[in-house]
Amino acid sequence: MSNPMKENQITTDPSKPAQRMRAGSLRIAALPWVIAGLALLVMPFVFNDNSAITIMNQMAITIIFALAYNMLLGQGGMLSFGHAVYAGVGGFACMHVMASTDFFEMLPLPVLPIFGGLFGMGLAMIVGSFSTRSAGTVFAMISLGVGELIAACSVIIVAFFGGEEGISGDRTYGLPFFGIEFLHQIEVYYLIAFWLMVSALLMYLFSRTPIGRMANAVRDNPERAEFLGYSSRWVRYYSFIFSGFFAGIAGGLFAINYEIVTEENLNTASSGVILLVTFLGGVGFFFGPIIGAIAFTLLQTVLSLQTDLWAFYAGVLFLATVMFFPGGLAGLLMMHVPAIKMGKASKLVVPYITTLIPALIGILGLSALVEMTFHVRHSSVGDEEMTVFWTTFDSHDILPWAVAIGVTVVAFAVMRMMLPTLRAAWADANATKANTSNGGAA
Amino acid sequence: MTTAALELKNLQKSFGKTEIIRGVNLAVGNSERHAIIGPNGAGKSTLFNLITGRFPQTAGEVLLHGQNLAGKAPFEINRMGLSRSFQITNIFPKMSVFENVRCSLLWSMGYKYNFWSMVGRSRDLTEGAEQILEQINLTNRRDLPAGTLSYAEQRALEIGITIAGGADVIMLDEPTAGMSHSETDYIVELIRTVTEGKTLIMVEHDMGVVFGLADRISVLVYGELIATGRPEDVRGDPKVQEAYLGAALEAEH
Repeated sequence: MSNPMKENQITTDPSKPAQRMRAGSLRIAALPWVIAGLALLVMPFVFNDNSAITIMNQMAITIIFALAYNMLLGQGGMLSFGHAVYAGVGGFACMHVMASTDFFEMLPLPVLPIFGGLFGMGLAMIVGSFSTRSAGTVFAMISLGVGELIAACSVIIVAFFGGEEGISGDRTYGLPFFGIEFLHQIEVYYLIAFWLMVSALLMYLFSRTPIGRMANAVRDNPERAEFLGYSSRWVRYYSFIFSGFFAGIAGGLFAINYEIVTEENLNTASSGVILLVTFLGGVGFFFGPIIGAIAFTLLQTVLSLQTDLWAFYAGVLFLATVMFFPGGLAGLLMMHVPAIKMGKASKLVVPYITTLIPALIGILGLSALVEMTFHVRHSSVGDEEMTVFWTTFDSHDILPWAVAIGVTVVAFAVMRMMLPTLRAAWADANATKANTSNGGAA
Repeated sequence: MTTAALELKNLQKSFGKTEIIRGVNLAVGNSERHAIIGPNGAGKSTLFNLITGRFPQTAGEVLLHGQNLAGKAPFEINRMGLSRSFQITNIFPKMSVFENVRCSLLWSMGYKYNFWSMVGRSRDLTEGAEQILEQINLTNRRDLPAGTLSYAEQRALEIGITIAGGADVIMLDEPTAGMSHSETDYIVELIRTVTEGKTLIMVEHDMGVVFGLADRISVLVYGELIATGRPEDVRGDPKVQEAYLGAALEAEH
């Protein structure tokens, strides 16, 4: 048959220097970090109005939190329903530091998140000591119970949690940091961006340490890990307290950014959101939660300005991810790597365009129908005028409904017609010579 | 007399009222290859699980190099120098083949619960793992997820993981189960080379494998050892033939 050592074969040749590097050095991996760092630096110049910076701050905080959460879910195989607790407690801790002005005056604001981290970590050390004994359902249930418990504490221990109003503070009372008092959003942005880079880098490096590698092993097969000399419980415990630390950092940054922390920061709903964000981005890759946090924050901020139903669309997106792309957005992107490596990705461009454009039109048509239904059901009597996609019409009229239904049906029909072409192109772009001529090795 | 690598003293196990292991006495010497055979349901796997701390025993003792293993967790037993494989392939399916082997080296190379050094940076780990891959002939599968390997390759990988930690007592639970003839020959050769100079205790059904590999054989029937000895002695033992071996040998011919 043909040459079995063709480079597009999946098996690898360890004598190739490039592949040795992967295991032996960190140099290759530095590039994405440099790009990310530069992007963080220039973002405020590209999107320079205050609302954009507010969105980016929120995004960055969510990224840190989601990455911390994925240390459990993706790396360690622990499904937590109460991780907002560690971020929330970190936030409250920072707020208390901010409130004790005598102490805060001696402290530059940029170091404040460390207090959040340490509090999150301390709480994780206590809770983890009994919750990480096993993974799976028991862990999930304990996380839920602890989450509810601490959320309930927020109305009981008013001195710390401030009851229903929460507690607030003023970040500008801190020791000026090189003359910066953090009066402006942009100054806070760079503070958060700095912590984002540091936290993300540390979390990435953690995954490359012996304990980080064993976290994956314990996730895959705890019993086998025990027979390699590791206590699964200790491995999980370490992941858990580190995750608690970085969640606390995220909480501290939240406190700095919004200057108010309430029960909402640690309740089960917030815990659910971070699970959703992480899963949406993809738990299988380190950068997955980053994409998830960006996508979700955009939905939450930009889409929520356009429609009251943004949470509905977020829910549909989440469902679609779970059902059709369990690897999340990151998995969706990484699916294309083999084709790109073989230089055949260009074969996909045209089929993608011809399939995705009708799909997009269909989805927009569907969302128009959803919006119209919502308007008919919920607008006040007599208010029959609505605007969807820059078009104003009477939502009780037949014509707009006919148009929306027609567009939707036709668009999805066209998409269905185009699907076989896309499937064929996909198979073609991913076919390896090894598959066709070698029959697959062994 | 030197201490045995592994010694069982009147080991017993009951599940409720059912006695599965009924007083097993056995001493396996250093560098000995010892096979445990017996009909289905004789308690071979249970015996393995008792030795490796997966189940607690009801009575009796397990001594590894003279040290009592009672009450020890699997990870502690492993740290004392005993490593095992499983009847059902037990690897880390989502991790790469290389990663599987590297993880099995971490503890024995002293990394423990280390969270400040980079595994990618340490040459001893990379080289150690590559050496093992070479030994088990999986070098060209290095970066594939372990779950995508063929069955025989997964079994080979599991043997690699089992021996990688440098344990001197290796226990293999049916290493050739479900394999074709050529795959079996391959695995037997592999076991022979990688357990050189180590104590091997294996449960096996394939008589060809047992008689080809073992220095001594124990026959377990209904939770009791009815014979222990060199292969030719066990083969000639009338009790063994009656209980088990005759039927199995006939079936092979």
